[in-house]
Amino acid sequence: MRRGVWLWAAGLATYAFLYVPLAVVVLFSFNDSELNASWVGFTTRWYGKLLGNPDMLQAAANSLLIAIASSTIATVLGTMAGISLHRWQPPLLPFLVLTPVAMPEILLGVSLLLFFRQVLDLTLGLFSILAAHITFSIGFVAIIVRARLAGMDEDIFEAARDLGATPWRTFTRVTFPLIVPGIVAGFLMSFTLSIDDFVITFFVAGVGVTTLPLQIYSMIKVAVTPEVNAISTLLMALTLTLIALALRFAPETLRKSA
Amino acid sequence: MRLALLVLLLALAAPGRADDTLHLYIWNNYISAETAARFEAWCGCRLKQDYYSDNEEMLAKLEAGAAGYDLLVPTGNAVHTLIRKRELLPLDGQRLPHLGNVAAAFAAPWYDPGLRHAVPYATTVTLLGFNATKLAERGLPTDTWALVFEPEHLKKLKGKVTVLNSQRELMAAALRYLGHPVNDTDPDHWRAARDLIVRAKPYWATFSNSTYIKDLAIGNIWVAHGYSNDMFRAREDARAARRPFAIGFAIPKEGAVLAVDNFVIHKSARRPDLAHRFIDFMLQGENAADVSNLIGAGNPNRAALPHIRPEVAGEPAIFPPPEALGRLEMLRDLEPKQRRLMSRLWTEIKVK
Amino acid sequence: MPASFSRTDQGARLTRWLVTLPPALFLVVFFLIPALIMAAASFREPGEFGGLAPLAERGFSLDAYRFVFDDVIYAWILAKSFAVAGLTTLLCLVLAYPLAVLIVRSPKRRRDLLVLLVILPFASNFLIRIYAWMIILGPLDLLYSPVAVIAGMVYVHLPFMILPLYTNLEKHDPALLEAAQDLGAGGWARFWRVTWPLSLPGVLSGSALVFIPVLGMFAVPELLGGTGDRLIGNLIKEQFLDNRDWPLGAALSLLLTLAVLAVAGISSALTRNRGQT
Repeated sequence: MRRGVWLWAAGLATYAFLYVPLAVVVLFSFNDSELNASWVGFTTRWYGKLLGNPDMLQAAANSLLIAIASSTIATVLGTMAGISLHRWQPPLLPFLVLTPVAMPEILLGVSLLLFFRQVLDLTLGLFSILAAHITFSIGFVAIIVRARLAGMDEDIFEAARDLGATPWRTFTRVTFPLIVPGIVAGFLMSFTLSIDDFVITFFVAGVGVTTLPLQIYSMIKVAVTPEVNAISTLLMALTLTLIALALRFAPETLRKSA
Repeated sequence: MRLALLVLLLALAAPGRADDTLHLYIWNNYISAETAARFEAWCGCRLKQDYYSDNEEMLAKLEAGAAGYDLLVPTGNAVHTLIRKRELLPLDGQRLPHLGNVAAAFAAPWYDPGLRHAVPYATTVTLLGFNATKLAERGLPTDTWALVFEPEHLKKLKGKVTVLNSQRELMAAALRYLGHPVNDTDPDHWRAARDLIVRAKPYWATFSNSTYIKDLAIGNIWVAHGYSNDMFRAREDARAARRPFAIGFAIPKEGAVLAVDNFVIHKSARRPDLAHRFIDFMLQGENAADVSNLIGAGNPNRAALPHIRPEVAGEPAIFPPPEALGRLEMLRDLEPKQRRLMSRLWTEIKVK
Repeated sequence: MPASFSRTDQGARLTRWLVTLPPALFLVVFFLIPALIMAAASFREPGEFGGLAPLAERGFSLDAYRFVFDDVIYAWILAKSFAVAGLTTLLCLVLAYPLAVLIVRSPKRRRDLLVLLVILPFASNFLIRIYAWMIILGPLDLLYSPVAVIAGMVYVHLPFMILPLYTNLEKHDPALLEAAQDLGAGGWARFWRVTWPLSLPGVLSGSALVFIPVLGMFAVPELLGGTGDRLIGNLIKEQFLDNRDWPLGAALSLLLTLAVLAVAGISSALTRNRGQT
């Protein structure tokens, strides 16, 4: 049993490693000290300051808008890609869909910057961020939807066709309802990815449009006050809720696609 | 789906550009809150500022397609580049009745003779700020770049020195110390400068563009390579906090970089009319004096001089006397291949 | 799919195009073409004020590549990035493995909770995770050091190692371990001869999920590292956002891409040899 104890200790230590730093961030968001070097006292004024900060509110609004728009479009396109990958395995589609997911984000950010400026001569802003977010989200949605389809019993389709259903009816009455949990999980995943994205947004945001991660980044670089902790805590709470919801909808699917 | 489209359309149409807002892209801390408020009251409009901390950063962002700024505040070499790129709106002299307030010395700069695109706003010198008390204790000189480059001095300052995190500025200081002009493009001179810097680096605490102000004022750092207006602020902060030491700053005798920052109007400005009003407002004596009184910057506006506090106007590092002016140079932009070489040398400096 | 009539056949082909084309087209426009543009940009000259010089004026050139290979500094930084990625992967493996084993050994009901507890920290923005380490290491005087960079890299990527490992270990047949025990193998031997080899596909895919992103990271070295701790990601970022030297940035990006493809290729070849997870 000695080995068992070591294993438990190692496991617990790893969990502690994962959680303690985040707990520190949350805790110090209530610190009544601008320097935030050591604990002074409890206060919620940083949250108040956040809500009164127009740049922060604009960034939050931008982030939400971009997340909703990009994850909607990405979910539609990603679902189509997932279905196509599962049913027909067209050549090149796996490469197109999966590579943006696997590549370091900086490469995607840089190539999109070059594309928008050099080819389209587009001023960077909301549109460029939107296009970028959709690009990397499609892959995630496709993977989840494909995993969901792979887990389904093919006999159901046979049965539907034997009963005289047209392909369209098979899709709307049989396939679609069964993959809805995967689609919803995909939507929630892309929403989370979009809200949290830093690297790619950093390159294609240009000037004048900020998102929450970009705002956090410039706060960290310019002046670190507990305000950063406060916004971090709020952002964590949001994405936590979203991931919990995603898992609720499709626990098996997410596990299989990991 | 329809909802998403609606949201998307709103998003693309929305970004709050209130019609009466002037968008300024400017150095951090370059317009005091009081001045901004006075302008807003005077013109009945809003002033929105975005900040950058380096000319290179500003130029890179513009290259990446920043639009929607009415006014920028670039340094001379950046103005020159922007003019050549045809990114600036020529100024309408009719709308700038106070343009004559610009002192003769600044009215025909190399980057824009005739002031057709740029109006000088403030000047700074890149120099050394120091903890006068600590340096006197150690018998260290305060008027030479050797203070940050020579091991015999650095030995007594280990870990207490910061330098600017700017390729051009640090190389310029090294080149001047070695007896070359700041705009020298000889690769051998550059490599000698690099070696000088690499030799001194182990004694430095860090490279910093802004944190040195606080560190100097608190006493964590004893020598800082930085901008004259920042040193001015550090000195005021230290006095206000009643520190047991005095902060001083001086232009090194080997020479230094002078920067003239100018108001320019970007060609994509949405409110060039407001921009002109702002520039003229800032050309008026009392308003122009603010940047000196509140920030400690040098002033190219002769109508401002009567309104400037004597301790600022009499400070030789901020308003250099004629013989010192001869030792000051303005940076000029490099050719692309030269920039590339400098950036590689900078990488070597950082990594070695 | 059952036998179909010719009308259904045409319908099927139409459906196939209708479903496949939109995402494919989107990705060709916003992923493939930009990637090709980036590759092409590396063969251009820098513009006078930044960006790229007009093609008509200056044409194509190998200058950017000559510049990269001309001085050992860039190769040195690329090598350093590989070293950091390797060390991070190793540390993640060491930390993740016991945890994954622990989860697998737990009763089925608790496993979902334990997995959730692993994923939750992942729910925080990665800047926040870096910032957390800035707070912790600051007072310890370890900030702006290589130690800080490694700590940050490991922390940000740990969940990517835990999940694939867990998914793999979950599928191991406990009967194999029992058989090994019956045959007289001690604890360590059982692990080394049975568990470890079976877990290799999970180890490999987890390692790829850590190694590749670490190679391209710039935020961790920038926020947690000292001036000497820059990696290839920082260099690339600098070319675009500070130096306005797009050809050099594109050349470095292309080299990074080749490095990543090589790693991905090796990883998937090794995985295929041992059978997929």
